[in-house]
Amino acid sequence: MGCFYKKHLVEIDKTNESFICKQAQHILSGMAAMGKKGIPSGCHGGGCGVCKVHILDGKVKTKSMSREHISDEEIKLGIVLACRAYPESRIKLKVIGKISKNVLKTITKKKYGFV
Amino acid sequence: MSVLRIGHINIRVLDMDEARNHYININGLIETHEDDQGNVYLKGWDEWDKYSVILSKSDTAGMNHIAYKVSCDGDLNTYKKSIEDYGIEVEEVPAGTLPCVGRALRFNIPSGHEMYLYAEKELVGTSVGSINPDPWPDDLKGVGVHWLDHALLMCELNPEEQVNKVAEATNFMIDVLGFYLVEQVMVGPDGDIQAATWLSCSNTPHDIAFVGGPKMGFHHAAFFLDSWEDVLKAADIMSKNRVKIDVTPQRHGITRGYTIYYFDPSGNRNETFGGLGYLAQPDRPVTTWTEDELGAGIFYHTRELVESFTTVYT
Repeated sequence: MGCFYKKHLVEIDKTNESFICKQAQHILSGMAAMGKKGIPSGCHGGGCGVCKVHILDGKVKTKSMSREHISDEEIKLGIVLACRAYPESRIKLKVIGKISKNVLKTITKKKYGFV
Repeated sequence: MSVLRIGHINIRVLDMDEARNHYININGLIETHEDDQGNVYLKGWDEWDKYSVILSKSDTAGMNHIAYKVSCDGDLNTYKKSIEDYGIEVEEVPAGTLPCVGRALRFNIPSGHEMYLYAEKELVGTSVGSINPDPWPDDLKGVGVHWLDHALLMCELNPEEQVNKVAEATNFMIDVLGFYLVEQVMVGPDGDIQAATWLSCSNTPHDIAFVGGPKMGFHHAAFFLDSWEDVLKAADIMSKNRVKIDVTPQRHGITRGYTIYYFDPSGNRNETFGGLGYLAQPDRPVTTWTEDELGAGIFYHTRELVESFTTVYT
């Protein structure tokens, strides 16, 4: 099989869920396809920072990410935006961005409409 | 003396090749200039001035500035004085600071967003010309948007700390730049907190909009399309090209526009804004949306706010 078809298992820490992600597919799209309804997965372009994840184990290849949301120090620690991270091996990750609350499915009513 | 319309928007992108592909091949803007620093200048086929979008390579996404065109050079002197009298510092930048643009005023509106006013920009004409024109040109790419229609800027709103930059920015646009309020969202226990506004300087339902959020930022730049049919086709083109769509074709209750929210490859939200909504006029009664019907105001069919509307912006 060519590299294009390579797939890797991605495990999510705490929920013990996992999904298969193609090497050519960013981790967020795999996560969104898991069927959790209403995940506001954000901009999918590395700009908004809601899909921040900590790669606990495994190797990812990343594309450009906004420095407003990911610092050089975080990259060294393996903290990346899932929409710009492509798996190169089996991955174990922890969701730490704003989408984590949707993984836990809590709904909070906003006090002033928007905030 | 008046502000004519939105002139251009300067958007930060993380990858220029990806951004060029998006704004040219998906949105259908036309590249008209590239400067020494690699900033890319684009216009819609139906626009006559040199550019309405500037793309700047950066390591963060978002908006650098927004610019409005005023009716004549003399207006700049008057606006400079009235902005300074309002207590806001103004820098006058010489012609050419913004490429192909005459002298301009640079300042920050009360929400913190950087704004320029200018009176002259190089005229290049629309793609169909001005003599016996056809209704549309043949060589459009992608969605083929007509023009940059408006922008929505996120302003800090924290009523418990008495912070309402939506109201402050709105008052400035009305009192100093001569815009008028078209629609608003009022929230809070007494319905007296202005949480979002849509303002016009022309006869379209909005030339700028402000929405309250946790911090200042850039929500979207909207590009004009004629009809609902165009909006449907635009969504097809986006899906075909794997563009991340935030909200599929729908009507806004506010402004009555036909919308798609989608993201450029750096995560900056774009919108196709279809239809002219209605004829906005300064004496038209202001439309007010209450907190309980806010969802329908933004997304008229689902009548529910989507989480990303207020949490995902650059």
